Amino acid sequence: MRHIIAMAAGLLLVQTAAAEDLKIGAAVSMTGGLAYADVPAIEGLQVAIDEINAAGGIDGKYMVEIDIRDGRSDPAQTTLVAQELIASGIDILITPADADPSIGAGLIAAQAKVPAFTTVASSPTLPLSAGEYMFGNFPGDNLQSAVSAQYARDTGYDTAFILYSEDSSYTQLPLYFKEVFEGLGGKVSGEAVYNLGQQDFSAIVTTIGSLDPAPDVIMTAAYEPDFPAFIRQLRASGVNIPVIGSDGIDSPTTFSLGDVAEGVVFSTAGFAEEGNPLSTFYKAYEKKFNRPSETIYTALGYDIMQVIAAAIMKAGSTDGAALRDAISGLENVQGAAGSITYAGREDRMPLRDVTLVRVKGGDREFVRQETPPGDLVPKPKY
Amino acid sequence: MDIAIQQAVNALALGGTYAMLALGLAVVFSVMRMINFAHGELMTASGYAYAFAIAAGFPFALALVAGIAAAVALVLLLERVAFRPLRGASPTSLLITSFAVAVVLQTLFQSLISPRPQPAPMPDFLGRAIGIGDFLIGSIQFTSIIVTLMMLAGLAILFRFTMIGISIRAASMDFPMTRLMGVRANRVIAMAFAISGLLAGVSGLLWVAQRGSVDPMMGFLPVLKAFICAVLGGLGSLPGAVLGGFVLGIIETALQAGLPIEWAVFKDPIALFIVIAILAVRPRGLLPTRVASRA
Repeated sequence: MRHIIAMAAGLLLVQTAAAEDLKIGAAVSMTGGLAYADVPAIEGLQVAIDEINAAGGIDGKYMVEIDIRDGRSDPAQTTLVAQELIASGIDILITPADADPSIGAGLIAAQAKVPAFTTVASSPTLPLSAGEYMFGNFPGDNLQSAVSAQYARDTGYDTAFILYSEDSSYTQLPLYFKEVFEGLGGKVSGEAVYNLGQQDFSAIVTTIGSLDPAPDVIMTAAYEPDFPAFIRQLRASGVNIPVIGSDGIDSPTTFSLGDVAEGVVFSTAGFAEEGNPLSTFYKAYEKKFNRPSETIYTALGYDIMQVIAAAIMKAGSTDGAALRDAISGLENVQGAAGSITYAGREDRMPLRDVTLVRVKGGDREFVRQETPPGDLVPKPKY
Repeated sequence: MDIAIQQAVNALALGGTYAMLALGLAVVFSVMRMINFAHGELMTASGYAYAFAIAAGFPFALALVAGIAAAVALVLLLERVAFRPLRGASPTSLLITSFAVAVVLQTLFQSLISPRPQPAPMPDFLGRAIGIGDFLIGSIQFTSIIVTLMMLAGLAILFRFTMIGISIRAASMDFPMTRLMGVRANRVIAMAFAISGLLAGVSGLLWVAQRGSVDPMMGFLPVLKAFICAVLGGLGSLPGAVLGGFVLGIIETALQAGLPIEWAVFKDPIALFIVIAILAVRPRGLLPTRVASRA
């Protein structure tokens, strides 16, 4: 009996050593301020890994394993765990949903020639600031605003008020919106700046309410908790100007706000419809975690794995430099949220579909979905 | 003119919330010489209790009670488990302990509940405007002004006319002497914590009503503001904390409304600079306590 166990163990050892593995290291934020985005993205990534491994690995030979280490939303800690992961011999690095911790980790990855992806950061300047091996995943801020500004003009809005915050790269998205909106003949007639976590928007709301003439639309990239606070206070002061938001508000809170959020249109990465890839993914997610997905970030995590798999098939190896070149040449990879193209994108941000969704009766209503023409997308702002 | 009145109302509503928060910190500081940095997590707890009660189908009023009860219960638990063993320890130890408690609670919320914000739906009437004369006031603001005034009036009565209120005030001036007069320290301290829990619960619910969701980190910013207000008013002084809250509310609203857009990013630094300027003139705060701190 003992021999058999020893032999079986020996065989197992041989097996693992023989099979080629793809090691993914995730230096992400399982706790702290970015956990709201990184935790769901990593869950989605795990759904994809399970699927791939159940099917016998990428290309029938690369089994995927993942090592997750908590960077606690802290740039220094994230860089530290990224360093540990790279020293342990990973092939791909996943970095958090924000530029600050991703840049340090990305630079280390570039030195070690390890391709890196941010979970869901949408700042178009991030990949360029974080070394030659860093890739974006989410539709960039400039991509999203090209679609929402086009929609605003198509709807007949001539003047807009923008509300943004200089505290993070993402919350400056309305500045891209302004560029496209004015390029299409509209005019931004007023601006206001807020701070992240600002609870009180009453002074801004009073200013907006007193504008004469009133703007046709208000555009903001504020997200939780700022967005719900803003929209409640806006509507409670009797201002009923339409509001356009961005992906940060694609969360259950927005749909639980009741009357005040009715009619808000926002840009996001996809729309689930019976039978489409996103709804199929959501079912797989619910099966694995026994609860419905609360955000599209899960699907975007899943999509990172689809990109990696497509790149490995293309490169035929897990060599870092070969993988990076393969990713840069990918076109129309089918992900859960839509198709993904890196080919021709010098900023290493994906060209992918942007979806506009309207809040209606506590649920989502499809408005439009498109990949904007390249010349409409503003250049990344530093 | 209308805008000026509107902005004044805005300042009053914001200042009132700050006043309640600062008072919660001050009442514990006055008897324990400790700034309880876990105060914000009490707000978070009340928000979660409210959100879960609503999700479980409880009526609105009962969910509010659940929210407040959760904050009071949690603060009494913390007092017993974390702060009582350290009574009489140096202010630094107390400060660090309260920080540790705050971080432990945040992490527990994150891992036991969710790192994602949980929706906390409020009735639709809180999203409407109330017309008074010919100008409109947001119903959340209206509610927060009324609730703040009621809380402050209730506490004023408690501190002035009840045995326990007078004991807390006495303890804040001279704790050893108060004990020699036969007042039980455990009771006074637990009561002070319970009052701070009540204030945290009420202000937590007002905070959640504005933002529509609860997340594990949401207590950090308000407690920071409350700390600034309490120092501005005179650390340990109860009326000072209230005054400090209103002053900060007025400063912030005036800056948000009055600063040109190019300057708007500097709103917080300018507000803090004004606070420092006030403290430079009145180093012990606007309404300092009469007895010097023995710490």
